[in-house]
Amino acid sequence: MMGVVFNLLEAAVCRTYGEAQWYELLDKAGLDGAYTAIGNYPDTDAFRIVNAAAETLQLTPGEVLRWFGRESMTMLAERYRIFFDGHSSARTLLPTINRVIHAEVRKLYPNALLPDFSFEDAPADTLRMVYHSSRSLCDLAQGFIEGTALVFKEQITVEHPHCKLRGDHQCRFDIRFRELVPTKSPLAKD
Amino acid sequence: MPPDANDSTVAQLALLSRRLEREHRARLAAEVLAERGLRELYQTQQELRLLVSIADTANQASSITEVLRFAVTSICNHTGWEVGHAYLNHHLPAASPLRSARIWNDSINPLFAELRDLTEQRSLVASNGWPGRVLATRQPAWIRDLAAEPDAECRKLSAAGQIRAAFAFPVTVGDDVVALLEFYCTRVRDEDHSLLLLLSQVGIQLSRAVERKISQDRLLYDATHDALTGLPNRKSFRQLLAQTLLEAQQRNTQCAVLFIDLDHFKLVNDSMGHHAGDQLIVQVACRIRSSLQPLELPTSPDQSAQPFCAAALVARLGGDEFTILLDNVITESAPLQVAEQIQEALKQPFQINGQDVFTGASIGITLSAPGYYSGDEILRDADLAMYQAKSRGKSRCIVFDRSMRDQAARRLTIENDLRRALTKQEFLLNYQPIVALDNGEIIGFEALIRWRRAGDIVPPSDFIPIADEMGLIVPIGHWVLEEACRTLRDWQNQFPREKPITIGVNVSPRQFRQPNFVAQVRQALANARVEPSALTLEITEGATMGNPEQAIATLLELRNLGVKLSIDDFGTGYSSLSYLHRFPLHALKIDRSFIARIDGSFQSFQVVNSIMSLANNLGIGVVAEGIETTGQVEHLRSLLCRFGQGFHFSKPLSRADAHQLLAQSLLCVTR
Ligand code: HEM
Repeated sequence: MMGVVFNLLEAAVCRTYGEAQWYELLDKAGLDGAYTAIGNYPDTDAFRIVNAAAETLQLTPGEVLRWFGRESMTMLAERYRIFFDGHSSARTLLPTINRVIHAEVRKLYPNALLPDFSFEDAPADTLRMVYHSSRSLCDLAQGFIEGTALVFKEQITVEHPHCKLRGDHQCRFDIRFRELVPTKSPLAKD
Repeated sequence: MPPDANDSTVAQLALLSRRLEREHRARLAAEVLAERGLRELYQTQQELRLLVSIADTANQASSITEVLRFAVTSICNHTGWEVGHAYLNHHLPAASPLRSARIWNDSINPLFAELRDLTEQRSLVASNGWPGRVLATRQPAWIRDLAAEPDAECRKLSAAGQIRAAFAFPVTVGDDVVALLEFYCTRVRDEDHSLLLLLSQVGIQLSRAVERKISQDRLLYDATHDALTGLPNRKSFRQLLAQTLLEAQQRNTQCAVLFIDLDHFKLVNDSMGHHAGDQLIVQVACRIRSSLQPLELPTSPDQSAQPFCAAALVARLGGDEFTILLDNVITESAPLQVAEQIQEALKQPFQINGQDVFTGASIGITLSAPGYYSGDEILRDADLAMYQAKSRGKSRCIVFDRSMRDQAARRLTIENDLRRALTKQEFLLNYQPIVALDNGEIIGFEALIRWRRAGDIVPPSDFIPIADEMGLIVPIGHWVLEEACRTLRDWQNQFPREKPITIGVNVSPRQFRQPNFVAQVRQALANARVEPSALTLEITEGATMGNPEQAIATLLELRNLGVKLSIDDFGTGYSSLSYLHRFPLHALKIDRSFIARIDGSFQSFQVVNSIMSLANNLGIGVVAEGIETTGQVEHLRSLLCRFGQGFHFSKPLSRADAHQLLAQSLLCVTR
């Protein structure tokens, strides 16, 4: 797992629960926490922190991941502004993950293990995404999706009707956009 | 805790958190730097990969279109631009406008349908428009937004503003743009300088591929075509013939081969020089081609496609030999018609060095049915038929039949026998007296070769041309020279006269052109111990005219040696009168054809008259050949011609008979 994910997790935890909480989680997980964005670290490190957080917060690891995804997307949007430029809705941005966003990530980090999303026909107000990954981080994906909507200040509901973790053969998200696309990108400077 | 201690802790904490903050920012900055470095590294790696893969393909691909297709696709993949397309000069290596190679990266997207149609219909011109300007500058070019271009054509290409950015780059060989690649995308894009730089590199790789292809094609072309006429050569004719024969047999149709050999070609070559001969060949090739044009199918623009489908194909086998392959011969008479067409086309004189030169074609024809197993057999039989045509007189056309094989076999045995004739001492000389027309006195003889082959005497016309073709004429001529000198010595010893007996010896052009010919003559004279002045060398006009300066030098050397020189068969060859006065001659021998008609035709009389005055002006003598009647003697006397030979006086005699005649010593002029 790329260091940038750890950095984001650290930032999210510190922002919501304070710095001390982060060190507590690290101690619990038995990690020293020195991560740089461009490094690559064992996946298990990340899972240990998530599990520690789940224990501390009395949540499931899935709920932690989803929370983390939601929290971190706004930070990602700031750090990698260029991917959000020109978009005013998650509806147009999400379909660019494979081809643009993660494609660029791969250029920088050939070792990154990135998921693949496919898009399927769905009713007009729905974006149907299917998540493919060897890691089964579908909760994180859902958090990222919700976080993306937050970036654009959109109201969405994300359903997760099929899930590998629940024994289905793939993970599917049905994303319904409740509000019309705002006219202005939230990132545009006033 | 003392207040100051507390203060210092606070200060220290502030310091620490400041340091932490600084370190944190430094780390972020370092990460940004690292990411930028990684990105650039990735970019250069990708560019390198693109270049290497295109260079690899350029090295290995078998066709230019294959390389272009690969380049178009890879560049689209590399840039993420939707559409790429290549133009190509389809007529390489000739200069020709670029047209669409119909190579598209994406040929289904309907958005680009109109662009495709427009592109495939036009040929690219340098004067204006997009991407014509790339032709003019031979540099890559970039358009940020087609829709914003002042050029109406650009806006037309933009599919009502949906296609936005474009770039294009040329592939050049020397000064010529041989191909052009263009790319389009649906977003406005600022000029990417480093991309254009990369494309120049790609252009260089592609141009290498094109260059290599051109030189490969040229090598292949050179190996299969005659350099002089540009016609297919023997090698490719044989290939095409083999292929056509096979196909004809499969389809149960017929093909035919015409074997063409020019008349008088050797004469033109010998008398006017090789350069003139070459010119004649080129012009003949041209006329043959155009006389066949209605039969020839248009050759495909694709160089690699073989013109097997052509109904008629002309090739030059070498020298003055051409062949024509007719495919799909429906009637037996079709090849004869083609042959007639060709003979008709060659009838008009050819202009060479400002002179009218006449030639004609002897043509042999072979049809593939029935039962030929190989093209080479057909070719050989057509050659045999041509040989027959030639031997039956000029400008004939003969269809092969099996009896010709026997004749060919006969000729082969003649060749074999000829090769052995010298060592087997089968040659002998006859001697025809040359007499003074006023009193019939024998002034000398012309030595004439005969071949006693298995008891029969073979006339010279039956073996001299063959010996000439085989090159045997040189040793045979040498033998004649020596034998004639020996006879001369004997006769001079036995019949000493105030004006010694002379003997004329024919020298073939080949013999005359030997670098050591003068030495051979000197040696022959010395061996026989005879006076050079008693030997007359009779050369033909052909021998002197190929390289007149060289001939003059040889003639002068011979004159200095003391031998006499005459021009044989005068009036039949391509006389170069301008040189005649520079030849140190003693006599002209007027060809028998003029003498034969001297009493019947005023024209012939006039010709002889002209030759007489020409000789007078040059201060040289004249000998009339082939005198058969008293009337001819009288005419010649009236023209003041002093010497002659012919059946009227005596046929060529054996050595013994000539000896006897000399003993009698006088001949009656009016007999
Ligand atoms: C600026 C935008 C984004 C950036 C820079 C980014 C970058 C990355 C990086 C670096 C990883 C870690 C891969 C590894 O360590 O092997 C990752 C993982 C992932 N990303 Fe993104 N990403 C972005 C947006 C998104 C969005 C919008 C989604 C929406 C679903 C998404 C879904 C995921 C998921 C689910 C993973 C977890 C890996 C897995 O499931 O196999 N990402 N991303």
